[in-house]
Amino acid sequence: MKVSNEVRELIASREAGFNLEAPFYTSDEIFNLDMEVIFGQHWVYVGVEPDIPEPGDYFTVKLGRASIVVLRDDDMNVTAFHNVCRHRGAELCSEQKGSVGNLVCPYHQWTYDLTGQLIHTEHMGQEFECSKVRLKPVHVGNIAGLIFICLADEPPADFEQMRATMEEYIAPHRVADCKVVAQDDYIEAGNWKLTMENNRECYHCVSNHPELTQSLYEFGFGYQPNPSNADEMKAFTDLIGQEHARWEAAGFKSAEVEKLDGCATGFRTQRLPLTRDGESQTLDSKVACQKLLGDLTERKLGGLSFWTQPNSWHHFMSDHIVTFTVLPIDSQRSLLRTKWLVHKDAVEGRDYDVKRLTEVWIATNRQDGALVEMSQRGAVSPAYQPGPYSPYTEAYVEKFANWYIERLNTAVA
Amino acid sequence: MSAHIDPLDPETVEGLPPKWQADADDELVCCQRRQETEDVVSFIFRPRTPSAFRFIPGQFITLELEIDGETINRCYTVSSAPTRPDRLSITVKRTPGGVVSNWLHDNLQPGMSIHALGPSGDFCASHHRAGKYLFLSGGSGVTPLMSMSRTAHDMAEPTDIVFVHSARTPKDIIFRDELQLMTRNMNSFRTAFVCERRDGEPGWSAPTGYLTLALLQLIAPDYAEREVFCCGPEPYMRAVRSMLADAGFDMTRYHEESFNFGSTAEADAEPVAVANSEDGYSVELTKTGVTLRCAPGQSVLDAARVAGLRIPSSCSKGVCGTCKSKLVSGQVDMKHGGGIRQREIDQGMFLPCCSTPLSDLVMDR
Repeated sequence: MKVSNEVRELIASREAGFNLEAPFYTSDEIFNLDMEVIFGQHWVYVGVEPDIPEPGDYFTVKLGRASIVVLRDDDMNVTAFHNVCRHRGAELCSEQKGSVGNLVCPYHQWTYDLTGQLIHTEHMGQEFECSKVRLKPVHVGNIAGLIFICLADEPPADFEQMRATMEEYIAPHRVADCKVVAQDDYIEAGNWKLTMENNRECYHCVSNHPELTQSLYEFGFGYQPNPSNADEMKAFTDLIGQEHARWEAAGFKSAEVEKLDGCATGFRTQRLPLTRDGESQTLDSKVACQKLLGDLTERKLGGLSFWTQPNSWHHFMSDHIVTFTVLPIDSQRSLLRTKWLVHKDAVEGRDYDVKRLTEVWIATNRQDGALVEMSQRGAVSPAYQPGPYSPYTEAYVEKFANWYIERLNTAVA
Repeated sequence: MSAHIDPLDPETVEGLPPKWQADADDELVCCQRRQETEDVVSFIFRPRTPSAFRFIPGQFITLELEIDGETINRCYTVSSAPTRPDRLSITVKRTPGGVVSNWLHDNLQPGMSIHALGPSGDFCASHHRAGKYLFLSGGSGVTPLMSMSRTAHDMAEPTDIVFVHSARTPKDIIFRDELQLMTRNMNSFRTAFVCERRDGEPGWSAPTGYLTLALLQLIAPDYAEREVFCCGPEPYMRAVRSMLADAGFDMTRYHEESFNFGSTAEADAEPVAVANSEDGYSVELTKTGVTLRCAPGQSVLDAARVAGLRIPSSCSKGVCGTCKSKLVSGQVDMKHGGGIRQREIDQGMFLPCCSTPLSDLVMDR
């Protein structure tokens, strides 16, 4: 891997507890390194099983220059291939989502079955052997219906630990029995790491997210204690203890598991109570879908949050699921893709209303997008200088930056 | 043994060699490929041991080939004439999906040997002596009739033959020059070509379209008095048969041979002008504004191709789905290979390449 001395120096000299140096948010060289090392070698969340419910369904996703097609084969397995024809390299599937019998290159109709095997060509002569040509496979990991892919030849093995832990947490929400009823693709004018860092703290929540904080306790992700909030924080801590006991007894895993750094596949999970009616992340904190997920009957399951390094976060409530993935576009632009899922049998207009379901996070995403853009504008300023993280509210931002620098160090060492 | 017949060798000239018998020597050595048209090649063979090919014009030989580790037998009618017994030829059209025809095109080169049996068969004018003949052929179905015509030409006797050949375009007429040469040499030998389209030859003045009864009456007003020999793909022959039967032709005087009866699949895949007939079903294309006729057993894609319409397609066997179309009304028998999903079929889609109509169709093309 070719890495300039300047970049090596930047990686080596990162100061713990501080924001990253400006080039991490602005440099094309570092962006390319990110795509190769972070997005090219780690497990990346890209979609959910309900994106491809039936054999032949596919979706495509871009990781840097790589385009990948993720699909459901005839045996209902989820598989993934590089979206590149083995003939002259044309992109096979140009739609973001679709359905195919076989995978047919639109250019010269080279036809692959859903296992990636080439099964038909014309004009290639008798000597040409279809059986020797396959689409290039991409590793697929599935955590209770959340689909991850990894472009590395040998993907990080600790994905299995994340899967083993998370399946227990997510299983009651039954992702595979959901349907995606809304998707928001939103381009933020910022480096992908700014989007992630913004996500990993709620320091900014009270003053920026009036919709989200209707249902979300501001204490959930770290808070500096002081005499004026002591009672509230005590009450929140007690509530967590009480709700965790209740949820765990009913079979809903709730305790925090935090492995955000010191490993290749970083993640964190915790089930947190919601405010007021405590049912869901909506404006009134009540469920947005009357038909609960799976065969749940308890509405007050709080919000199970699941974060992964490098690029995703998810919220599982009793009635709906919201998933987020950040897909870098270039050094200063990122795609934030949000999906909302409800029970596949829920009926729009009767059980749920898409506007009500999505309004909190659409508003929050736009607000976060503006914050990220602000940060990006700051990062390109000559006056930019890394500042210190709050030890109370920005511990997870620090973990994200740690993980990121560790991974770069491992790769360029 | 290097000895093969050199007809110019004075010793050979002294006496005809014995008849070639596949029982004794089943090897034929390829000595030349002749590119007849863009997708048709004649393969000329000599026997391995000195011998002469003796057969009745119209007969076939059976090739025994090893393709991909599998032994495949395929019959090909002989295109050469027994009046030139030193060599024997077959004339093969490359067929989409045709295992043997494609193998021959791609692999059989001068110097190579193949195994063959025969000749045999009784699709021969010699078995049905008549004063006048009508030869009807479609595509590479020309071969047995060519053998008969070449024989008649070589024998230089006044045999009355009208030879009507159907092809896609003028450039696809197999043996076009030689047929014209024979026409010039023989007063009683006439040819007529019916091409679907003029592609590439805008000045082509012969009739285009399909062989119809009206056209046949123009070409050979006395067709009813002729002994008819017909060869071509199954849909072509079926259409000719019904055209003649409908016209009250005495069908005991109608003889037919599939140009490649060893493989129905290959024969059916052959696109060839089909005589207009009431057989089959109509296919209406809403966007194109054309209604065409799909012969029994003919795929909708082939019928469209015959009518000069190009529906995007590739594999012709229901695998790639390139020809996927909306079926507005009607029913088809579709034998696809994974190129379409059941839910697409449920939504009214179908693959014209692997579908034959079960009723009149309307499709959104």
